[in-house]
Amino acid sequence: MTMLTLAKPRTRPLIGWRVRKLLIGYSYLVPAALCMLATVVVPIMLAIKMSLYADILYKPQDYRFIGLGNYVRLVEDPVFWLTLRNSVVWVFGSVSLQFVFGFAGALLLQQAFTGRALVRTLTLLPWIIPGVVVGLIWEWLYQPNYGVINDILIRVGLMQERVAWLSSPDLAMAAVVFTNVWRGIPFFVIMLLAGLQAVPDELYEAAHVDGAGVFARFWHITLPLLRPIIVVATATRIIWTFNYADLIFVMTGGGPANATQITSTYTLLQAYSSLDFGYAGALSVVLLLVMLAFTWLYLRTTKGLEDTE
Amino acid sequence: MDERISLSRRKLLHALTGTGVIAAADLAWWDAPFIAPRKAWGAEPVRFQWSVPEPTRIALMNSLVERFNQSQKDFAVQIEYVPQAQARQKLISAITGGSPPDLCQVWDNWVGQFNGMGAVEDITARAKSWKHYADVAPTAWQTVTINNQIISLPLAVTLDGIYYRTDRLKELGLKEPTPDWTWDEFLVVAKAFTRADKNQYGYGMRGSGSWALLYPSEFAYANGAEVLKDGKVAINSKEAIDAFAWYLDLALRHKVTPPSAATDGFVEIVEAFGRGVTSMYQHNSGSSGQQKKNVGVDKFATLPLPIGPANKRASFWFSETLTMFKGAKNKEGAWQFMTFMLDEEPSLKYNTALGLLPARKSILDRPEFSRDPALAGFVQSFPIGIVSPYLAYPGWGGKIDSDGVPLIQQAMLGKISARECLDRFADILKKEMM
Repeated sequence: MTMLTLAKPRTRPLIGWRVRKLLIGYSYLVPAALCMLATVVVPIMLAIKMSLYADILYKPQDYRFIGLGNYVRLVEDPVFWLTLRNSVVWVFGSVSLQFVFGFAGALLLQQAFTGRALVRTLTLLPWIIPGVVVGLIWEWLYQPNYGVINDILIRVGLMQERVAWLSSPDLAMAAVVFTNVWRGIPFFVIMLLAGLQAVPDELYEAAHVDGAGVFARFWHITLPLLRPIIVVATATRIIWTFNYADLIFVMTGGGPANATQITSTYTLLQAYSSLDFGYAGALSVVLLLVMLAFTWLYLRTTKGLEDTE
Repeated sequence: MDERISLSRRKLLHALTGTGVIAAADLAWWDAPFIAPRKAWGAEPVRFQWSVPEPTRIALMNSLVERFNQSQKDFAVQIEYVPQAQARQKLISAITGGSPPDLCQVWDNWVGQFNGMGAVEDITARAKSWKHYADVAPTAWQTVTINNQIISLPLAVTLDGIYYRTDRLKELGLKEPTPDWTWDEFLVVAKAFTRADKNQYGYGMRGSGSWALLYPSEFAYANGAEVLKDGKVAINSKEAIDAFAWYLDLALRHKVTPPSAATDGFVEIVEAFGRGVTSMYQHNSGSSGQQKKNVGVDKFATLPLPIGPANKRASFWFSETLTMFKGAKNKEGAWQFMTFMLDEEPSLKYNTALGLLPARKSILDRPEFSRDPALAGFVQSFPIGIVSPYLAYPGWGGKIDSDGVPLIQQAMLGKISARECLDRFADILKKEMM
C-alpha cells in the first residue's frame, strides 16, 4: 500500500524576504548611525537649543528661553557682519590662490626632471606641519622689528621702512591669507597630481598628432578630465577653510581692530572670553547653515559629475 | 710606590663626595634631590590644575608638590598641567561638565567669572582662622574677596611698573629718572630712546590682551580719572579721555612705540625689550627674571608708573591665586596644599624663582625682594597699588577681551578718537553691570 503524504503549505514568514534583506542591511549601519547620532546630531541639536536661550555662564540666574533673541542680536551686531565679510575674503582669497598655485605646482611636478621625488616630498612640508606651528613660524617671520621678511625686503631695496604686516588693518588679512595659501598649496598639488597621472598619455599623443598646441591640450584634455577632482578638492577646501580658525587665532587673535576676525574666531571669542554660550550658539548655527549651503552645492555638483561618468 | 700619586679608597670617596656637593650646590633649589620619609600608602588624591607650564615652573611645581606629598601622609597632590592659553577654557568646560579639579591656579580676573558661575568654594572661615591671615597684605585679600567672601588664597601678587634700560640712559647722557618722575619726564626719556632709523623705540606699548586696556587705564588714574565712581561707570570722564589721548599720542603723534604696537602682546613687548628694540615697557615683575637673562642684571632697572597731571598715580594689583571649587572631592587636602604653598619656604622659592612678589608681608620684606633693583619699582609701587577696578563685575573681564581690546586697537591705529573709544567702552561696561 502506498502512503501518500500531502505537502504541507509553508507557513508564510511574518516579514517578507525583501524586507528582511533590507532590515539586515540597515542593521549593519546601526552602530555607525548611533555613533553619528551621539557625536554629530545630538551636539548640533544641543547647540541649536543653546542658541535659543540667554546662557551666559557667569549669570546662571538669568538663564531663560529667549526664542530668537540671540539671532536678532546677531543681525544687529555690526561685528558679526564684518566677520562674515572677512570670512568670505579669507575663504575665497585663500582657496582661489591655493588652487592656482597648486595647479601650477602639480603641472610642474608632472614633468620629468632630476630630483623630482625629493621635490615632491618637500612640497608636502607645509601641509604636514600643524596649523598652530605654522601660525607661530609666520608670526615671527612677519615680526616688524626682527622678522626675516622685513629684513630681506629692506636689504634688497624693495622697502625703505619696516612694515608691521600683522598690525596694519590694511595688510593683516592679506598676510594671514598668504600664510594660509602657503600652507594649502600642497593639498591641491597632491590632489591634482594624482588626477594628472590618471590622464592617459595616448590622448595627449593623439592631440599632438592632430596639431593641438600646449594650451589646446591643456584646455581640451587636462581641464575636462580633472574637473571631478577640481570640484571635490575645491569644495572640501572651502568648507575646511571656513571653519579653520587656528592660523588667525595664533597670528593676530582676530586683530588689529577686528581686521582679521572671521566668524569662527568670533564664535570662540564669544564663548570663551565673554562666556556667552547662547550667542556663541547662535553664531555656530549660522556657521552651520553656511556650511550646509556649501555642502548642498558640493553634493549637487558631484552628483552631476557622477551622472556624466 | 710614590705616595703622592696614590689614590686610596678613602681619598676617592672624599673626592666623589666633594664633587657631589659642588654639583648639588650648583643645581637650582627645585632640581636638587629631596630626601624625606616615604609617604604612606592610601593618601587621598588632590587634583590640582596648573597652567603656565614653562620649564622652570614645571620643575618648581613638581618639586613643591613632592615636598608637600612627603611632608604628610594623608594627601597626595596630583598636578594636571594645562597650557595657559587653554587653561580657562578647560576649567569652564570642567565646571559646566560637573567635574572641576579640587584646586586650580588662576588669575583673580578669572575667579570673578567662576564665582558668578557658582563654582568657587567660599573659604572665608578657613582663611580667617589660618595662622598667616594677618600677614597677608590687605590689598591682596581685597583682590580675592567678592561680596565679603574670600574665594581664593593669593599665591603671588603683581603690580605694574616701568622697565627701562639704564645702559642706554648712560650712553645718551641722560639723567637717571627718580621714583617720583612725571609724565613729562617719561615722555622726554621715551623720545630720547627713540631712533626709528636704528629700529629703536622709547616705549613698548601693548595692543593685545586685556592689559592693552589696563595700562592706559592706570595712566587715567594718574590724571584723576576712575573706572567706577559712586557705583557708576566713569571711564569716559574728561580726565580719562585726556589721559587716554595723551597715552595714544605716544604712538600716533610722538611715534615712540614700535609700528607693531597695535598687536603686540605680552610676549612681543617682553621680547622687544630683551632684543633692544624698545628701551621702556610697562609690565609687572613677572618678566624681570627673563630680562636679567636677556638684557643683563646691570643694564636695566624698574620704576613705579610716572605721576600724572593730577599729581596722582595708581598701579593695579592682581593676584595669582589658588582657588578651590565647590565641586572639589577633597577640600581638606586642597586647603592643606594651599596653605603649604604660602608657608615661608615654598612662597619664598616660588616668588624668587619666577620674579613675582609674595602676598605675605613678612616674606616681601626679605632682602631677596626689597634689595633687588629689578624689583625696586614694584616694591616702591605698593603704596600706590589699588585693586583693579575691572574686577568689580564678573562680566567685565571677558568684555575687555572681546570688545575693549578691538576698541583700543582702533584708537591706537587712529581709526577712532580716545573719546569714541571710551564712550563705546563705557556703554559695554554699563550693560554688564545689570
